[in-house]
Amino acid sequence: MTLKTYVAQHGRQFGTLVGLLVLCAVMWILTPHFLTISNLLNIAEQTAIIAIIAAGMTFVILTAGIDLSVGSVLAFSGVVMASLLQKGAPVGVALAVGVLAGFGCGTINGLLISVGRLPPFIATLGMMSVARGGSLLFTEGRPISGFSESFRYLATGRVVGVPMPVLVMLTVFFTAWFVLTKTKLGRYTYAIGGNEEATILSGINVRLYKTLIYGICGGLAGLAAILLTARLNSAQPIAGMMYELDAIAATVIGGTSLMGGEGNVFGTLVGALIIGVLRNGLTLLNISSFAQQIIIGLVIIVAVLLDMTLKKGRR
Amino acid sequence: METEPVLQMRNIRKTFPGVIALDDVSFDLRRGEVHILLGENGAGKSTLMKILSGAYERDGGEVLIDGREVEIGNPRRSQSLGIGIIYQELNLVPHLSAAENIYLGREPSRAGLPFLPFIVDRKAMNGSARELLAGLGVNLDVRRPVGELSIAEQQMVEIAKAVSLDARILIMDEPTAVLTEREIRELFARIRRLKADGVSIIYISHRMEELFEIGDRVTVLRDGSVVGTRDIAGATKPELIRMMVNRELTQQFPKVAAPRGKEVLRVEGLNRAGVLTDISFSLCEGEILGVAGLLGSGRTELARAIFGLDRIDSGGIHIKGRLQRIASPRRAINLGLGFLTEDRKTQGLVLPLSVRENICLPSVDAFSRMGVVSRRREAEAAAKYRKDLRIKTTGLEQRVVNLSGGNQQKVVLSKWLVSRGDILIFDEPTRGIDVGSKAEIYELMNKLTAAGAAIIMISSDLPEVLGMSDRILVMHQGRINGEFSAAEATQEKILHRALGDTE
Amino acid sequence: MKKLFVIILGMMLALIAACNRDQTASDGRPTVALVVKTLNNPFFNDMQKGAEEAARRLGVNLLVQAAEREVDVEKQMQIIENLIQSRVSALVITPSGSKEIVPAIVKANQAGIPVIILDTRVNEEALAAAGGKVAAFIGSDNQEGGRLAGELMVKALGGRGQVAILEGIPGHETGDSRMKGFRQAVSAAPDIQIVSSQTANWERDRGYNVFQNMLQAQPRIQGLFACSDLMALGAVEAIRAAGKTGSIVVIGFDAFSEAREAVRNGLMLATVAQFPSEMGRQGVESAALLLKGEQIQPEMTVRIELITRGNAEGSSQ
Repeated sequence: MTLKTYVAQHGRQFGTLVGLLVLCAVMWILTPHFLTISNLLNIAEQTAIIAIIAAGMTFVILTAGIDLSVGSVLAFSGVVMASLLQKGAPVGVALAVGVLAGFGCGTINGLLISVGRLPPFIATLGMMSVARGGSLLFTEGRPISGFSESFRYLATGRVVGVPMPVLVMLTVFFTAWFVLTKTKLGRYTYAIGGNEEATILSGINVRLYKTLIYGICGGLAGLAAILLTARLNSAQPIAGMMYELDAIAATVIGGTSLMGGEGNVFGTLVGALIIGVLRNGLTLLNISSFAQQIIIGLVIIVAVLLDMTLKKGRR
Repeated sequence: METEPVLQMRNIRKTFPGVIALDDVSFDLRRGEVHILLGENGAGKSTLMKILSGAYERDGGEVLIDGREVEIGNPRRSQSLGIGIIYQELNLVPHLSAAENIYLGREPSRAGLPFLPFIVDRKAMNGSARELLAGLGVNLDVRRPVGELSIAEQQMVEIAKAVSLDARILIMDEPTAVLTEREIRELFARIRRLKADGVSIIYISHRMEELFEIGDRVTVLRDGSVVGTRDIAGATKPELIRMMVNRELTQQFPKVAAPRGKEVLRVEGLNRAGVLTDISFSLCEGEILGVAGLLGSGRTELARAIFGLDRIDSGGIHIKGRLQRIASPRRAINLGLGFLTEDRKTQGLVLPLSVRENICLPSVDAFSRMGVVSRRREAEAAAKYRKDLRIKTTGLEQRVVNLSGGNQQKVVLSKWLVSRGDILIFDEPTRGIDVGSKAEIYELMNKLTAAGAAIIMISSDLPEVLGMSDRILVMHQGRINGEFSAAEATQEKILHRALGDTE
Repeated sequence: MKKLFVIILGMMLALIAACNRDQTASDGRPTVALVVKTLNNPFFNDMQKGAEEAARRLGVNLLVQAAEREVDVEKQMQIIENLIQSRVSALVITPSGSKEIVPAIVKANQAGIPVIILDTRVNEEALAAAGGKVAAFIGSDNQEGGRLAGELMVKALGGRGQVAILEGIPGHETGDSRMKGFRQAVSAAPDIQIVSSQTANWERDRGYNVFQNMLQAQPRIQGLFACSDLMALGAVEAIRAAGKTGSIVVIGFDAFSEAREAVRNGLMLATVAQFPSEMGRQGVESAALLLKGEQIQPEMTVRIELITRGNAEGSSQ
């Protein structure tokens, strides 16, 4: 494939990337504190949690679905894992259980959607409330805090200067990219979103794969919960509120179509970074959180408008 | 009678990146005539019509209406110039009533009273809609949601809508593709009425028989250029086909009988409540079994039941001598079945995916190891069928949404060939496809049966059923109401059985 | 279409520039950042005002930042990280979470930026375990406030009756301390029973709903202590809806202007006044002293006062 055809086919991704670079350039002009190694790593670290959730969200949105429960599932996985850690369970076991708790919630979402035929919006809206209530009940509303250094290393550790959360994020995105482009699961993800009926007629067990995809989304929320808990040294039952909206925003800014079948995980990473850079830069500029909300909202709208125009232009 | 042309298109040119879609095309339409537009898919018919509808802008040439040059920038302008289009896929809102659809955006209101302009005068609206449809000779309840109407009735609603917009030029794109024989008769009667009222009609169709019945003149397009315009009275079928494809089609149905092998499919006493009743038949290697019947007679439902899409209440399906329970398409595919559905776009293809990805979709398992798909092996398989079936694409990575109907159908066919299907169910395999692609698909069916495959061909196109089948089943209200060998079948016999006669 | 983007992009840049306008250029003056829980709560608005007044007086650059939601500990941590990146001289923080703030404090310590805590105490154990340190805590004694409220409740009910509590978010030091003080004072009167104690998340509408439910379950409740005025005001509406206005004693905490109004009108018996503007003022003053290299006290208490009908008119913040 020549560079030219590659650009023609993947132009949308480059558009997002250009957007990110322009944004960085603007921030660089406006504040001297922006373009420093430590600040860039700082942004990457701050973005990691939302980005990891958004990677899972990308799978779900590619199937033309939605998962509103990720924030609550994150809280649930976090408190389950934290309580195990506090009871002295080995770190590895607690981490695995945390991710599995998320995977379990996601799988229930998937079963409700694929077997129960509930619209994804409804099924995950229900799970959003159930998982939130579950984590509040489980902890009686109190945060669980104070963990060993070895656990906290997941958030505080650095490998050749790169913070652990950033490494985890990059690993997740590389894996997600590999799965989406190279594996059966990835192919079916796009096919289900592009035309579910044709996919069923092609003999693919759509129920199984849909369930699995929602499971993955929940599992990644569980992984994000590990990082968040290690970062704050505390697992809160009210953690992750509204994270689902940030994750959806990152995915959509990254060019994944809510209609399914189109998009990629690289765009999602860029989308998450755009939100991260905006939040960081606007704080460096001492812009109030109220105005920040307006600006982030406008960016989402402009990104999607741009996406639609580019797609129209290509046809 | 020679009259002043209502519409003239002169030297129209339209290019898309890398393609000349229309090259110096001229076309004229007289008052009150039915002008047939004929051509293979990709010949430029749709592009020409989209220029008229305002969906595309032309790159060169001029359009004259009543002798005056006009610019058609957008669909609204096209409408105000008196151009109406009845698309193959109807553009109606299913939950709204017929009357509401006809007057969508122009609802009559009770004028004269304060605050009332916002309130729809339902009585007036229903009344004028009823009048409008009556003028076309249609009698239906205009208050019913159009989603509950038959396809033919929906089409009438669309035509009524165009007429209510004072359309003087009506474009009909394959209007009979989804209609039954009787509905086609009725449609033609209405077209004649419109003609008499002075409406000019551009009629796009692939069905030769219809052209001679309804058309006044015919213009043939090939590869974006006009090959010629003829009066229907003086034209012959072989001549028109020659003009379209540039190669002599010696026979329209190049049926080659293949040696009959052993029985591969036997259906016994199949029932599905309210849909299928007591269906029994068998199918052998090398055989094409035609399935005829009116829309709603249970043909597609039979295919769905065999393919594991719909549950069956009782009865047995034997594949290659063994009784099988087929609970899912996956199981069916593993048993060697393939199902070419009647609607490519909603059931056959994943439009945003590439040619390669679509062709390999049912066979991804075979191309992957430990869940990782080998793109290289996929591309090899896809390239083979692209060549064998002469699929016209810019490459294997082109998205199927950008292919013409005939090429899309070939992609769907390739899917089942790659998955090594040897019991193939083709539901309306040539609907909406140009003559050239049709012939290629018939050839392919011959090749497949010669190689030992067995084919069930469901079709509403009687000449096609008669021309390609070894045996023909006729369905009526979920039952098999007659079976004929190719030799004894005639159109009349099949129609009688399809309409429910037993003799 | 393209024009539209240019216009929107331009608008956004203009917005950024406009918001950025009052950021004084680095002119050698020290920059102190005040990070509160949220800016959509009058308590923190008052704190901001006090801090701004002190900053003006002392010639200090003041940045004020907050998360959109009071409970968003992660967002608050991000804000602090970003402020560390922009090299502020000192951080004055109202923690959204007593334990969750610790990693952020540690990061500030590592960057050599002194941290002063306002209003909500940092969990001592967690801080010690992480090896972090704060320069000072400035706040009111919430437990003392709760105790004052409890004593008043006992007096108002004549030493007997059923009482309910609306808690803040569990694990929040301020709410927990207030409740602890209140329970201590009430336990001195054996005939007063605490029949119900639930969280209303610091929120007004939750206060309404939760207290409405409490009244359903315990119709003989005579007294209510809410750990914040927002919850108390919600409960006042629930009491009004139940037609019990005047028959239930309500005591709140924070002394918002709206709550003072309610006290004047007899809808609430009292509210405990804190002085957030004083906290803000002292926070900035202490930061300025620290930056000059002077010693400050590690613990400073801001006065606390019970606002009843008698003094609701006169006293102001």
